[in-house]
Amino acid sequence: MLSPDRLSLPGPEYLAQRHVLTYMEDAVSQLLENREDISQYGIARFFTEYFNSVHQGTHVLFREFSFIQATPHNRASFLQTFWKCFRTVGKNGDLLTAKEYHCLLQLLCPDFPMELTQKAARIVLMDDAMDCLMSFSDFLFAFQIQFYYSEFLESVAAIYQDLLTGKNPNTVIVPTSSSGQHRFRQAPSECSPLDGVEASLFYQCLESLCDRSKYSCPPSALVKEVLSSVQRLTFYGFLMALAKHHGINRTLGALPDKGDLLLDPPMDQELEKLLSQVSGLSISTPSSSSGDITNLSARNSSRMTSPWKPLHHRQKVDIEGDGSTDETDSSEN
Amino acid sequence: MVPSKCRPGGARAGPSSVNNCGLQLVIQTSSVAERNKPFEFRINKDQSSFHNRLLQHDLEKNYSGKQGDGRFLTPLVRNKQVYVPVAANLADLSGLELKQGSGYQSAFGDSSVHTPTKFRTRQGCHSAGPSVSDNIHFGSNSSVTAFPIPHRVADEKILNSDRLTLERQKLTVCPVIDGDEHLRLLNFQHNFITRIQNISNLQHLVFLDLYDNQIEEISGLSTLRSLRVLLLGKNRIKKISNLENLKNLDVLDLHGNQIAKIENINHLGELRVLNLARNLLSYIENLNGLDSLTELNLRHNQITSMKDVDTLPCLQHLFLSFNNISRSIYHCFQLIIIYINLLSWAFGHLSQPEPSPKLPFHRHLSGDFDNILCLADSSSLSDITLDGNPIAQETCYKNTILHHMMQLRQLDMKRITEEERRMASVAARKEEEKKRESHKQMLLKEKKRLTIGNIAHQWEIQQNRVALITSSDQDKKDSDSCQINGSAAYVFPEETRSLDTILSDAVQGLSVLDSHLVEVEGDTLYLYGSGALESLDRNWSVQTAGTVTTVSFMFIEFDEIVQVLPKLKNRFPNSAHLKFKETNILMLQQFNALAQLRRIEQLTVDPQGNPVVHFTLWKYYVLFRLNHFNLQKINGSEVTQNDTIMAERLFGILAFVASSELPQYRLLSLLGESRKKQFCYLLEAKGKKSGIVSEESNDSRRVGGENANRAVLNYTTKDFQTEKFEEVKERKNFCQTYIQDLVKEAADINMKNESLQKLWPQMFIELVRDAVIEIRNKNSYMKLCLQRITDQK
Repeated sequence: MLSPDRLSLPGPEYLAQRHVLTYMEDAVSQLLENREDISQYGIARFFTEYFNSVHQGTHVLFREFSFIQATPHNRASFLQTFWKCFRTVGKNGDLLTAKEYHCLLQLLCPDFPMELTQKAARIVLMDDAMDCLMSFSDFLFAFQIQFYYSEFLESVAAIYQDLLTGKNPNTVIVPTSSSGQHRFRQAPSECSPLDGVEASLFYQCLESLCDRSKYSCPPSALVKEVLSSVQRLTFYGFLMALAKHHGINRTLGALPDKGDLLLDPPMDQELEKLLSQVSGLSISTPSSSSGDITNLSARNSSRMTSPWKPLHHRQKVDIEGDGSTDETDSSEN
Repeated sequence: MVPSKCRPGGARAGPSSVNNCGLQLVIQTSSVAERNKPFEFRINKDQSSFHNRLLQHDLEKNYSGKQGDGRFLTPLVRNKQVYVPVAANLADLSGLELKQGSGYQSAFGDSSVHTPTKFRTRQGCHSAGPSVSDNIHFGSNSSVTAFPIPHRVADEKILNSDRLTLERQKLTVCPVIDGDEHLRLLNFQHNFITRIQNISNLQHLVFLDLYDNQIEEISGLSTLRSLRVLLLGKNRIKKISNLENLKNLDVLDLHGNQIAKIENINHLGELRVLNLARNLLSYIENLNGLDSLTELNLRHNQITSMKDVDTLPCLQHLFLSFNNISRSIYHCFQLIIIYINLLSWAFGHLSQPEPSPKLPFHRHLSGDFDNILCLADSSSLSDITLDGNPIAQETCYKNTILHHMMQLRQLDMKRITEEERRMASVAARKEEEKKRESHKQMLLKEKKRLTIGNIAHQWEIQQNRVALITSSDQDKKDSDSCQINGSAAYVFPEETRSLDTILSDAVQGLSVLDSHLVEVEGDTLYLYGSGALESLDRNWSVQTAGTVTTVSFMFIEFDEIVQVLPKLKNRFPNSAHLKFKETNILMLQQFNALAQLRRIEQLTVDPQGNPVVHFTLWKYYVLFRLNHFNLQKINGSEVTQNDTIMAERLFGILAFVASSELPQYRLLSLLGESRKKQFCYLLEAKGKKSGIVSEESNDSRRVGGENANRAVLNYTTKDFQTEKFEEVKERKNFCQTYIQDLVKEAADINMKNESLQKLWPQMFIELVRDAVIEIRNKNSYMKLCLQRITDQK
């Protein structure tokens, strides 16, 4: 399980790189926050629960945005949670505006920034007519790209802009978020005559970016695949292609394939239970109360059979999970 | 037509008695006694002797119990200078009775000035009147087309050289009167004359009676400069005109015509009596210049308003019966007045609701009778009739009139007693108080309106500011939309936009106004502006608090409302309907906050100022989140079972995930303090894992009213959130350093450990080698050991 290269780095750096420190800090912070409650059932149990939930990806529920975006795992977990909770909205066929999707996001993360939602909407709508209605799957995949790779995308925007204006993109330093934003606002208007940049050149730049970047990037092979199919492309065209690419979705592992997006049998089962409860609520109270218990006991069962999670991703999570558990033990002692 | 002339016999019989009674004297003719003197038409203004004659008619009417229109009242009635000459002239009396029976009056209700003529005709038995027709022979009796030339018997001519009566002669044109240039009195009553002509040579004519003809235009009078009495009643005149030269006109009777406008009479400075009854007038106007006018008869018109009446210095009698005078005008001015009052009130003069006389509208403030009360200024007015007007239907009509027109002696033909006057003033005062009260009410209403407007304004400003702040954080595109959001100007429903200029003044004055408003109306508690929330701390009476079932929030940030919700729950336990308007509900999660209330049956979220309502899912989310309240209505529409199921279908998983996937410690921290206990209890029950999951635990959760899985969905206001973040940040920093230290320590230990691991094999070998070397020589080693033992001892 332990990756062999863990010994190639000094301990602290390795831990930081794998975000172990982040989780440890958060665990202690949570411990402090809920001191009284936790003291009732033991610190050891708390740490077990905490890292279990990290492992399952349920730790991001209702957490603050800074934590949610802190690690790739958190991001993936958030995406998965979002999908799980609001799949029904998509299933119902509702088309919603960016603002409304934002509201849904805020139900899970109260301080989720509007900016990200809007950027995701821009990908779907190709930077046009922001008040349009979007389907759940369109939004979700665009949002996935935007949220998971947000730093990468900012750099891409800067590179794209530089390519458009004819500068040598290699001189470009990875921009701060604000400056990147400004550039990419100008992009559409200026690119219209040329209609984008040359794909191969763009790919070269992106490849070097992926090598340099300390943030998560899509695998360069997949980027190459996306870019190789066309001669020229625009920024939003590129993002759209990324969003629709199955491979990237699989790499992230947070969401099922597009075809299966609306399917989640275990959850549907639970939902059926809830529904029967609601419709039977007025008739028999006992049934509903037993339903409550089902809910709670389901806590454990669902923990065991953690819902949809592709193999590829699981491996990654396990690495982190195990590493942090080790640390937890040491700090506990 | 002049009685003195017509009644020569009677007068002759007892001239002194005639004088005594004064009834028959139309024109004070002392010459009655000396008949040879030329007729002297003298009108004595001071004595208003002319009225003596006219009064007679009035008297008749009073006797006959009818209230005709053609009534010329004089002060003499009151002065008791006039009474029926019982002893003096029995014939007169009989004449009166005759008339009473004849019903003639009703036919000519409006006839006023000409009555003496009638009178005379009635009295025909002893007057010369009827004989006129006998004595005069028309030159061409048969031909109507040619101008007839009356030939009078010489004897008659001598007798009445200055008067000519040609009534009921079926004349269609004015006869040419020749040789009678000195004629002073001419009577063409009851003919069919269509045009006034052939009389321009009668330069001395003083009295012209054309009553009951078919004249369509006033004309042919320009040469009659000495004319003083012009009677044109019951004709077909449409326009008052061609009176320019009749500067000496004293009496002008135009009743029973088709006149629609008062005009061209401003030069008649001598005019004392003007009769315009039974015309088509709707306004009284153009009366200035009539400086001598004492009597104005405007009965049976369609008058709705009047002006210039108070410019008549001598007006004493004003007859306005059977018109259309009402309070209507009052209403037009009312709003303006309110604003003016409000203005003054805003500057702190509320204690003096009585307007200062300088206010141009004060007249209208004095009551609903403003239409009439402009007459109050005309101090000479002593007699007025207003019966038959809408205004007279008002309950306080008489009192108000009397109160405001102290100089009045007679109202609607009835004398006013002191008692009445006193009662009137008392009643009027009461009325005024009542009015002031209602006025105050209106002011309060207005104040409320303005306050709400003010709150709306402030809210708008605030929204704009918020929008600006947020927009500065976002890129321009976003800010645009925010701007639109914020500047969606709050247009207050207002019907009086036209008064905006006044309003804006008033609003400026009111800038010190409260920025909030609390109001209980029926079972609804209205809260306007964020300051109003403080009122929840107030000591509400149990009764009031109990009756409030609806709470309406306007112009308050939802986050602020959230903070007072617990108070609301306690103070108004019966409130089951919440209304939100302009409260900035932006997100679905904000509805979470409402879950803490005790009960909600109805929820109304106005789209105005609450963007969340534009979301398609908001209703379902509310239903889902506030599921435990069993909401009956959302925004006025009934909640159906299907809605509830749909809500569950959409958000059920969210609740499930929330409850099933949260680690326990988080669940506890997310549940509020209040619910924690129950939940702990539940956990314990669960912890026991006893097959029978206790019923009580479920009950206790029912008491909480809310499914725990939903309770996790909380809403924290922004302030609280940032506060919490500060706290979290601090803790995070601490944790960071703490963990770093730990990690460093652990890494150190690890490093040492690793170093030890590296060294250990070597060390071990060394140790072993040393030991081996030591024990290589068994004997020497034994010796050494023994030596050590002995040494120890």
